[in-house]
Amino acid sequence: MDRRLISKLALGSALALAMGPVLASGTAEAQTKEVKVALIAPLSGPWARQGQLMQMGADMAIDEINKKGGIKALGGATMKLVVADAGDTAEKAKNAAQRLLSQEPDLVGGTGAWLSSFTLAVTEVTERAQLPWLTLSYSDAITSRGYKYVFQTAPTADRQAKEVLPTIMKLAEAAGAKTPQTIGIVMDNTAANVSYVKPMHEGGLAQYKLKLVVDETYTPPLSDATPLIQKVRSNRPDFLLLLSSNVPDDKMLLEKLSEFGLGVSKLPTIGSGTHMGTPELKKVTDPELLEGLITGAADWGLKGQEDIIAEFKKRTGEPWMNQDSIMTYGDMWLLKEAIERAGAADKVKVGAELHKIDLKEGPAAVAYPGPVKFDENGHRVDAPLILVQWQKGEAVSVYPTDRALAKPVWPKQ
Amino acid sequence: MTSATSSARRRHLWAVAGVAVAVLLLSLVIRSAYYQLILTQVLLWAVFALAWNLLSGYSGLFSFGHAAFWGLGAYTVALGMIKLNLTPWLGIPLAGIVGATAAALIGFPTFRLRGHYFALAMLAYPLATLYVFEWLGYQELPLPMHRDAPLLYMQFDNPRSYVFLALGLLIVGLLLTLWVETSRFGMSLLAIKQNEPAAEAAGIDTWRWKMRAMVLSGGLGAMAGGLYAVVLLVVTPDSVFGMLVSAQPLIFSLFGGVGSLWGPLIGASVLVPLAEVLNAELGDILPGIQGVVYGLAIIAIILYAPEGVYWRVRDWLFRRPAEPPPRPAAVPAPPAAPVFASATRTASGDLLVLRGVGIAFGGLRAVDGVDLSVRAGSLHGIIGPNGAGKTTLFNIINGFLKPDRGSIVFDGGAIAGLRPSAVCRRGIGRTFQVVRAFPRMTVLENVVVGAFAHASSDTAARQMALAALDRVGLGARAGVTADGLTTRELRLMELARALVAEPRLLLLDETLAGLGHDDLDGILGVIRKVRDGGTTVLIIEHTMQAMMQLVDEFSVLDHGRLIAAGRPDDVVRDPRVIEAYLGKRWMDRAAVPETATAETA
Amino acid sequence: MQALAAGVLVGGAYALMCIGLGIIFGAMRVVNFAQGDFLMLGMYVAFYLTTGFGVLSFLGPYAAPVVAAFIAGPVVFAVGWVLHRFLVSRVTGAAASAATGGFGQILVTLGLALILENGGLITFGSSPVAIRTPLSRASFEIGSVLLNEAKCVSFVVAVVLVVAVYLFLAHSRTGKGLRAAADNAIAATYMGIDVDRAHRIAWSLGVGITAVAGGLLASTQSFQPYVGFDFVIVMYAGVVLGGLGSILGAFWGGLLIGIVQQLSTLILPYQLQNTAIFVVFLLIVFLRPQGMFGRLSERT
Repeated sequence: MDRRLISKLALGSALALAMGPVLASGTAEAQTKEVKVALIAPLSGPWARQGQLMQMGADMAIDEINKKGGIKALGGATMKLVVADAGDTAEKAKNAAQRLLSQEPDLVGGTGAWLSSFTLAVTEVTERAQLPWLTLSYSDAITSRGYKYVFQTAPTADRQAKEVLPTIMKLAEAAGAKTPQTIGIVMDNTAANVSYVKPMHEGGLAQYKLKLVVDETYTPPLSDATPLIQKVRSNRPDFLLLLSSNVPDDKMLLEKLSEFGLGVSKLPTIGSGTHMGTPELKKVTDPELLEGLITGAADWGLKGQEDIIAEFKKRTGEPWMNQDSIMTYGDMWLLKEAIERAGAADKVKVGAELHKIDLKEGPAAVAYPGPVKFDENGHRVDAPLILVQWQKGEAVSVYPTDRALAKPVWPKQ
Repeated sequence: MTSATSSARRRHLWAVAGVAVAVLLLSLVIRSAYYQLILTQVLLWAVFALAWNLLSGYSGLFSFGHAAFWGLGAYTVALGMIKLNLTPWLGIPLAGIVGATAAALIGFPTFRLRGHYFALAMLAYPLATLYVFEWLGYQELPLPMHRDAPLLYMQFDNPRSYVFLALGLLIVGLLLTLWVETSRFGMSLLAIKQNEPAAEAAGIDTWRWKMRAMVLSGGLGAMAGGLYAVVLLVVTPDSVFGMLVSAQPLIFSLFGGVGSLWGPLIGASVLVPLAEVLNAELGDILPGIQGVVYGLAIIAIILYAPEGVYWRVRDWLFRRPAEPPPRPAAVPAPPAAPVFASATRTASGDLLVLRGVGIAFGGLRAVDGVDLSVRAGSLHGIIGPNGAGKTTLFNIINGFLKPDRGSIVFDGGAIAGLRPSAVCRRGIGRTFQVVRAFPRMTVLENVVVGAFAHASSDTAARQMALAALDRVGLGARAGVTADGLTTRELRLMELARALVAEPRLLLLDETLAGLGHDDLDGILGVIRKVRDGGTTVLIIEHTMQAMMQLVDEFSVLDHGRLIAAGRPDDVVRDPRVIEAYLGKRWMDRAAVPETATAETA
Repeated sequence: MQALAAGVLVGGAYALMCIGLGIIFGAMRVVNFAQGDFLMLGMYVAFYLTTGFGVLSFLGPYAAPVVAAFIAGPVVFAVGWVLHRFLVSRVTGAAASAATGGFGQILVTLGLALILENGGLITFGSSPVAIRTPLSRASFEIGSVLLNEAKCVSFVVAVVLVVAVYLFLAHSRTGKGLRAAADNAIAATYMGIDVDRAHRIAWSLGVGITAVAGGLLASTQSFQPYVGFDFVIVMYAGVVLGGLGSILGAFWGGLLIGIVQQLSTLILPYQLQNTAIFVVFLLIVFLRPQGMFGRLSERT
């Protein structure tokens, strides 16, 4: 760091001018050998686990890319991942982004930073630097600011919310259950969940003639779920939207539901977010409780991804591959694809290619559900919502049916 | 005669200018947007730490909840921009107003608390607010982008601009702190920090000064928070109201040196980059290690420099020329004469009259129906064994305690129930059983603190202080810091502090305790001189010998009741006194360590 | 009723951790920001004993968690002892606070908190874990009120432990020395009490008891290395509510926090349950600054 600063100071403009041609050719040569992409994720602090999962996915993709001959358009240049810790605050995340840009001026793209407030802070920096930035954060605010270099690979919270109700209704129908008429919502007040239920309150529920009989919002972390679940018990909805945002709260809510005789087998429960499908959930509570629990995600192990998943399990020892890993894996391949098409390690060109891209095959196309194509705001076009269900102690994709690995089960009441 | 203060002020002003120029140069030299960002954060956190220090560092009222102000500032700017399209140029000053108002509202109830209670109560405000903001639906506020009008909305392309803005705030913070530190404001706060009751007894309206410090601190903190929102462009309740945010200014100030102008800046300048470098260099290798190293670094330095880097460095730099410069020669003659003249005028009749005064704590009547008349111009002693209620009686007279029965008339006016600072302004000064010196201040400054309530200007306060020091014979030691004084000198200094307010009645609480024979004679002489100058003196002791040669009149207190009063010779012959008091004297003398305890407590 | 019952059960664990903090605060007047992280250590010790290494698995899923929680106490007690001996004692106690105004301890405990949290991340990993016991999702039904079995067990254990600690402090020789040192450290010195040792016992006992509370919570709650943070505030609120320096007060303070937290949901939006804690906290502090059981002992 210091060396870099000193060298910058030492190299006066005159010197730089004189050396210009030499330096330029030097960097050009370096670029053909190595193309750098970035991952900014929380590796310390309360969200460290998610960051780790992302890094596992990214590392695997990078290894594969390089093993298969690197970037062909650049004469087999290798791809190199630069990782920065976003820590536990938006301030640290923003610093990490600014630092990467300063220390690695030849970055051509990147992905991160998991938590949407982090991503909001990070993308402000990357946008200024015209660095193409992929993110799996859901927040609508990320792509509603007119940015040109931000690409949201996950469906926005708004879109997920619109999709989840019809999907659930269809699921229930397909499973032969009677059409749900009442709904309960128990949620925490994190940004993602608040924007998730907003469209439901604004006509979404009415459209499906669903009556809202429980509507409770809490501030995480929960100390005790009794009063919340008490309300669920006394109003007994046909199904429950359980929108928490971390594993400790999941455990508390699910165990309380079971304690009150409202286990998933009796009360269909739909969650949101990857935390409800992580292996550690099985470690902290009785796997029986989870059986049948459905959660929504932007990506999960799907048909066509079998090889990727097998390889991932082998490398990491994780029991399955969730959204954070597979999407970050896809991000690396997607960046690689864009670089190939740009034919240069040039971030502006890569950004332009990402806007034009419409991938049909290759690991990147397989890694995400739905088309790999972005609109002018950076939304992935028609990115679908994936539903995941716990079946036999494992969280497997059950929707959309054409790519899901298992069939959904709707509890018979 | 403000030359010492004003030269210090001038020196510091140059230093502030120096810092400003250094930061400017640094930001011009730095090319990398990253370093500019870190520099901006150093400055912002330094401002926040300065704001914290302004209240907590000087007044000693530790706040664990300054995030309340930082957060309100950030949300004022963010919501102003989102809802009203308000430019941060107005939003940040508005944040200052919001912060100052919040500080006043918080201070109003919270100043009733002291010590740990105050600190922990402060913790509750930002956390309660945090949940309210989440409930209101402000979990994540991205600031709207206005790339078309960067100047209007502070959304500059050049990161240097933010350094300049933060530097501007820093200069405001430094100048504000400097002004406080070198005026009666700062001295009053320091006096409160050392001993709030003593400060109040010296006539300082402690509540008002604390409130002023709180309001300034809240306003400054909120402005820094507002600019933080502009720099970060996204505001979440956790990132501005969280407990870690409250901890930051505390860590920086304590690390750099609490209660100093430069401490907060030093703390932020070292720790912000340190944390960032650790994050950068170690964060992706072994996540978590950066926190461990950061924690170890803080602990290591605090073990080496428990009061913070600034004080440690200062002590190290100035150890050898430690003897502060002697009192400047060009001192105008103290205007002593009129003081004595005005005091003598009332030397007839009873100056202080207590009728049936009593107070109870729980079931215990600590003072029970005391009738006491103190003749103007007399030297009146109150003796009694430990626990007889002597100090409680003093606390009632000077307003620390409100008697639940009886009346107190001073110079024809009822004073029971008045606040200590008001009693002091009426003309009653006091000293304490345990001397509370302000160890880092000079003898002169220690006394000046007592003069503020009665002086029209800081200069006048200084002159009065010098006069008072001359009266007790401590004039030659005016420039020495108080921690270098002997017990006798400390007693004299406290006497001077009480005298500087030109009281007509002086309450001396065991001024003779713990003194050797030679020292005793000196102090007795000074007390007599004070009485001869026209000030009525009421003195408490529990040892009788010294009192016998000193006082004109004696009152004996036992178990909260007055059991005898009159001329010393008569009183000691009173059988009740012998029974109640003299029998116990030997026990008191045997318990020598107890006086030692009082010294070190 | 259900909310009240839930509040009491939650409050039991709070009460226990509050007592741990209360002992430290009462005896040493030290604001320990790392207290929550000792709670976290207690959780992990209990976790590794039952689930991680399974040393105690022979005790079965019912007894093992409770035994593990009790073992967490002495383990963390020992950790506390060492920390006090080599670190904390250097910045606390009469001499140190006279020299530095007691500022040093604030930074040292903050630094300690950082080290424990991040050291925890390195040692224990980032995945949330918990002790699995069938009790945590079973309940006793009394009338229409359901009482979570795991929470009932920890409540009973907490109350037993509280009584034991109280008796220890009130009647044992060490306990009396502790209280004397808390009352007036200097006077205690003259009475021949080794104040430094008393402080060390208070500190270690305090973190140990809090660790037991953590161990008990480990079966109803999943946790990661940063979990302690959520509890520090609850603990301070409880201790101040009860009255600084009062063991009994800390117990009732912690219990009250639990009850307020759950009962507030009947009249306030659920989201504001923690705000309710702080409002009650501020109210009590203002109306009765010495806390429910405290006495005004700050001298002029």
